[in-house]
Amino acid sequence: MGEQWMFYFDPNRCIGCHACSISCKQRHDRDPDAEDWRTVTHLSQGEYPDFEEVPVSMSCMHCHDAPCEKVCPPNAIEKREEDGIVTVNRDRCIGCHYCAWACPYGAPTYGDDGLMSKCNMCLGEGPGSGHGQPAKQKPEDGGAKPSCVDNCVGEAIKAGPVSEMKAEASGAAAERFENGAYESRVIVEPIAERAPLHEDTDESSDTVDNRDEPATKTEQSDTQTAGWLNG
Amino acid sequence: MSKSNAGEVALSRRSLLKVSGATLGAMSLGGCLGVLDDETDRDLDRLSDAEVAYGNCWMCHHACGQEVAVNDGTIVDITGVDGHPRSSAGPGREGTLCPKGLAEMEKAHDPDRITQPYIREDGELRQADWDEAFEYAATRLKALDEQYGAETFLNAASWATTNLHEIVWGNLYGTPERIGRGRHVCFGGAHLSGNLMGVGADMRFVDYQNADYIIAWGRNLFESFAGQWEPKGVLEALDNGAKLVVVDPQHTPTAQKADEWLPIEPRTDGALALAMGHVIVEENLYDEAFVEEWTYGFERYREEVADKTPEWASERTGLEPGVIRQIAVEFAEAAPAAGIALWTGVGQYAESQKASQAVFALNGLVGNIDRPGGLRFWRGPPFSNPFEVRDIDLPNNAAGKTPALRKYEEYEKYPFRHTTGIGHNQIPEMVENGHIRGMYCHYDNPLTDGNTQAWLEALEEMELIITVDAYWNELTRHADVVFPEAIQLEKDTLIDYAPAWSAYHENRWVSASKAAVEPQGNTKPGFDILKGIAEAMGWGEYIPWQSEAEYNEDMLANIDYSFEEVAQENFVILDEFGYEQWKDSGFSTATGKFQFYLDEEDGYRRSIEEVDEQVPDVDLHTGPQWVPPGTFGDTPDGEYPLHFYDTRAVFFAFGADQVLDHPREQYARKHGLASEEYEGNYLVMNTADADERGIETGDMVTVATEKGDGEVMAYVSERTPPGFVTAEFGFGQGNSKEDGMNTMIVHDGQTDPISSQVDRHIAAEVRKTGGD
Repeated sequence: MGEQWMFYFDPNRCIGCHACSISCKQRHDRDPDAEDWRTVTHLSQGEYPDFEEVPVSMSCMHCHDAPCEKVCPPNAIEKREEDGIVTVNRDRCIGCHYCAWACPYGAPTYGDDGLMSKCNMCLGEGPGSGHGQPAKQKPEDGGAKPSCVDNCVGEAIKAGPVSEMKAEASGAAAERFENGAYESRVIVEPIAERAPLHEDTDESSDTVDNRDEPATKTEQSDTQTAGWLNG
Repeated sequence: MSKSNAGEVALSRRSLLKVSGATLGAMSLGGCLGVLDDETDRDLDRLSDAEVAYGNCWMCHHACGQEVAVNDGTIVDITGVDGHPRSSAGPGREGTLCPKGLAEMEKAHDPDRITQPYIREDGELRQADWDEAFEYAATRLKALDEQYGAETFLNAASWATTNLHEIVWGNLYGTPERIGRGRHVCFGGAHLSGNLMGVGADMRFVDYQNADYIIAWGRNLFESFAGQWEPKGVLEALDNGAKLVVVDPQHTPTAQKADEWLPIEPRTDGALALAMGHVIVEENLYDEAFVEEWTYGFERYREEVADKTPEWASERTGLEPGVIRQIAVEFAEAAPAAGIALWTGVGQYAESQKASQAVFALNGLVGNIDRPGGLRFWRGPPFSNPFEVRDIDLPNNAAGKTPALRKYEEYEKYPFRHTTGIGHNQIPEMVENGHIRGMYCHYDNPLTDGNTQAWLEALEEMELIITVDAYWNELTRHADVVFPEAIQLEKDTLIDYAPAWSAYHENRWVSASKAAVEPQGNTKPGFDILKGIAEAMGWGEYIPWQSEAEYNEDMLANIDYSFEEVAQENFVILDEFGYEQWKDSGFSTATGKFQFYLDEEDGYRRSIEEVDEQVPDVDLHTGPQWVPPGTFGDTPDGEYPLHFYDTRAVFFAFGADQVLDHPREQYARKHGLASEEYEGNYLVMNTADADERGIETGDMVTVATEKGDGEVMAYVSERTPPGFVTAEFGFGQGNSKEDGMNTMIVHDGQTDPISSQVDRHIAAEVRKTGGD
């Protein structure tokens, strides 16, 4: 069977511009005010000037262990053998939202029809379109590059078979992935240490706090970013 | 900076799983309402049989290559062009589009666009066909010329895709009045400094990929860029081990990525630059050979910075002396592969000409000019003048006419009349005096650019306003003729607007595209509009080209590619050009050298002398010098204690894109305010300022200045310092998106007296709306 596909994200290259969210919407012909399949969350902490902010772009991670698939009562969600992409058969979906409760990334969205839709790595176009499609092909084999990958200004998002993503990643990111960071569902580059602060005050002390609020509260099902950045 | 032991920042957030309860109810309703239309699991299949076409993004007018999928006349997908000089990081690299560029797909099919010409009859705008609109415009133009003279008509075209407007209004109609953007409303202070000192107006862009050290000085280049080659180039430089320093009061997305962030006190850039110069001179870190052979005024500069120690600058900038010293040394040691990118941050406040002059002096000191990794003298393609190619004997009916600013004694109070022919803030006064009576605007809305209340009155008073635009706003509604323009994706275009800087640091290039789809409704390309006006005026003989593409063909007379060939590929890379071009051609200044002092520049010298007379507490000369904030511009005080400044977001270019739903929705989501009905801009303010005033994120607040009030939604954040509030410009009264606040509605005509640049920094107070 085919190799599992996955996403890779480098917060050091993400400029927080939301091109991924918009290109996703346009590729799948979704209304601007519909919930995003791919979200950008701006996490911040600290007080000016000892302040930092990190943009995080997230979508369905097509998890190897697909928690959403496990809880779906009518078995509408499929973790595909051929490429690992998690698709939804909306003819079976009953709109019960169990998948949203199970998902660590807030990926499932629900339209006016009450049915679930989410990222399908651009296996097709439109909500539910990935279901029943042939195996995902790489761009060089004629497959569609996921629109978020295709339009990431900073080239922060990548998608492909696991072995390729590991090869693309830095040694540190690949090692963390191997060691189970983020439940080995996604490869994320460690955040580079940047911007030591220089101002006319005493050295500020380190304040790593696990209870920080994000810069924004996203409108849709919460994306548990904690899992992301503490992986 | 917080550091965890693993050498990475650990961030987390509370989890609030919010399932929208409305959907279940909606679902049961859905059955009755028919929203459960058979759309489950159906692939759209729009892309499989779509055709590929190209565009050159005209949202911010910096021409990133666009690849669009067209299915049966509809654009169904859009992405960047790989390897394109503006939308990629260089040869073979992925081409992308920023949110603005992606939103051009929405713009192409936006039902809110103006799709029919309109003319004013009995005081009201009514629809007209093209011939009628051209005839009407011609009749009105002739009447204006007869009654007041063509010299009272202002050409305020911006970002047209050809220079035809200059020919029609200058050569043929015969007006000397022309206002562009760079010198007047964009970065006038820095624009003037750059041009007179010898680094030109392209000092905004560094030879990024070759740089070891980049200072983004008041530039937020990861959010506000002139084509994506910029952020991509900087990311690549960082990958290669370059160091990024950001000088900015606000913690911007660029500061997020910086190795060093210098949270400087607003408007004290000049002090930091002079102190850096002091260190570089003291430590003998400057490029002696370059200074000796290629600069003018160095000895005076040395004297000027002699006492501008880091300690002196620290008191003004709030930065540690040790840091100022460190940045100066690192910058000089990395030179010439060290560049400073500076644009509007040190270009839009009243003292910005002097501040930017102090910054640019550093380039002359370390000799990073047109050397790998420093500033670059970019070169555009060798376009021909189509009128010369066709041997057209063009009249110059504006010859010998002096712009009003230099002609009438009413304007002798404006020292900048020696460095420019007009100023944006002063046009309402010129209208009042009867010196400007009409105007041609193209894709630019002066109501976003400064002195808005006076401009609104001026629109009422003008005899004749002709606009070319895509959306209704206070300008188009005031016009006598509204010509609806096709957008870039609907017309043939050769990019001739600033076709120089790009990811190809050593090559000239040319980019073009053919119409990807038919113009929406009854719209036409700008070229056809100007040609139509000219024909109705009886000047048809001067404009023999049938289309913009034909005109473009003549522009390419000296280039080995036809319009068709370029458009087929979207872009073509041309010949190489080397570094250190000044060795052959010198600097385009009065002395032929890089100039620390500008006494050889007549206009500048006269303008400085007059400003010096007008402003008693400052002793001005023509070199870099410290001009404290408030010398020309506002100083916050008891009544108006806050600095109010306007900014840009990555989602919008000027005032026209805010009407598009995709980028505006994401702008709201970024701020966590998408659930609000409000669709305007946000006032970013620090927690301390907000707490003091009982303000929370999502509250409507009133921004009050000497000039008046505006209402806007608050966004409370630690990314901005206490005392410093900002809002995105291009929203609110006068703009196409009327929600939110027009930041310039509270602007009182503040101007940099040396360059005419609109001073966008205003002293303000903020209170919760409806509060005491």
